[in-house]
Amino acid sequence: MRALVVIAHPCDDSFTHATAASAAGGLRRGGHDVDVIDLYADGFRAAMSYEERLAYDTDTPILDPQVAEHADRLQQAEILVFVYPTWWAGLPAILKGWLERVGVPGVGFTFDAKSGKVKPGLTHVRQIVGISTYGSPRAYVKLINDAGRRILTRSLRMSCGWRVRTKWLALYAMDTATHDDRTQFLGKVERQLAAI
Amino acid sequence: MRVLVVFSHPNPESLAGAALASVLAGLARTDHEVRVTDLYADGFEPVMSADERLSHAEPGVGRELQRYADDLAWAEALVLVYPTWWSGQPAMLKGWIDRVWVAGVAWELPEGTNILRPLLHNVRRIVVVTTHGSSKLTNALQGEAGKRTVTRSIRTMCSRRTRTTWCALYGLDTIDDAKRTAFLDRVERTLAKL
Repeated sequence: MRALVVIAHPCDDSFTHATAASAAGGLRRGGHDVDVIDLYADGFRAAMSYEERLAYDTDTPILDPQVAEHADRLQQAEILVFVYPTWWAGLPAILKGWLERVGVPGVGFTFDAKSGKVKPGLTHVRQIVGISTYGSPRAYVKLINDAGRRILTRSLRMSCGWRVRTKWLALYAMDTATHDDRTQFLGKVERQLAAI
Repeated sequence: MRVLVVFSHPNPESLAGAALASVLAGLARTDHEVRVTDLYADGFEPVMSADERLSHAEPGVGRELQRYADDLAWAEALVLVYPTWWSGQPAMLKGWIDRVWVAGVAWELPEGTNILRPLLHNVRRIVVVTTHGSSKLTNALQGEAGKRTVTRSIRTMCSRRTRTTWCALYGLDTIDDAKRTAFLDRVERTLAKL
C-alpha cells in the first residue's frame, strides 16, 4: 500500500525523527511505498490565513501551492502515519495547522448542501497510525485525556470511512526514559509498521 | 477581576468575532480590568522553533513573547474565544499554548520527577467561547478533544479551585440566524456574571 508519514518536530536530530525513520523502514520492509512529509523541514505555515478562511467556503479552498501539493500526496495515501511529540496533551501547532489547511472541504470531507451532511473525503485511507512521545507518564496522560490521539483516531477517522483501522504507539515519561527504553521503542515501531 | 481575553480567528467579521464583541460587552457591565490579545492581529507565530524546543527546560520565554507571559501572570480570569476546528483549538491558539505556557511561566519541573508543578495560581476562572460546525452528537462521538485540552490539560497549571465555564454553539453549518443571535446573547450574559 502507499503510506504517507507526516513528521512534526522542530529538531532534525530529535527522537521523533529517529522514530519516523524506524517507521519508514518498517513500512518499506512490509512492502509498502513510503512518502514522507517533514512539516518543519518544509517550513509549513501553521495558521490558516484570512484569505484561506474566506476561500474555505468556496469551491476552491486551497490557495497555497504547498498545501495543494500536500493534499495531492494525502489523497494518494492508504496508510497515514503521524509522528510527533505530544505537547499539552495534543498535536504541536504545526501538525494541527496541517490538518486545518490540508484537510479542507473537497479533501478531508465533502459537505452535501442538499442533506446538510458531512461525508468523509479520505475513503482511500485504510489505516491510521499515531506514534507519539509524552513527557508525562501513561496514567497522567489518561487522566488529563489524550486530545491529540482523539483528534487522529476519532475526528480524522470519521473522515476516512468506517473500515479504517487505527494503531497507536506511545512512549510515555520520555524525560525519565532510559536509552534502553528508547531503543526498544524504535524496534517496536519498526516491527509493528512492517506488520501492517 | 483582571480578565485576559484571547481571540483566535483570522476573520474579525466571523461569528467568533461577533462573540468577542459579546464577551467584551458582557465584561463591560461589571467593574473588570480587561486585556485583549488578538493572535491574528498580532501576527503571532504559532510554531515553536528548534531553539525554543532545545531550551524548553529553562524557565522563561524569549523577549518577543514576554508580554504574553506577563499577561498570563497578571490574569485572574482567562477567556478564550475561538472556532473549534478538527475538534480542537485552531493551530494559532494551540501555538500560543505551546510557546507561551512554558517552564517558568505556566509550570516548573522539580528535579527527579516527571509531573509538572503548576505556576498559574493567579488564574481562578477559565471561560471558553467556541463554535462548532458539526452537531453536538458528532462532537460527543469524536470525544471533544479541545474541551479536554482546556478543562483538564491547561487547567491543571492554574489554581486548584479554578472553575471552567463552557459556552459553545454546535451545528454552525446548519443553523439559522435566530440561533446565532441567541448564542451571542448567552455569551454576553455569561460574561456579565463573571
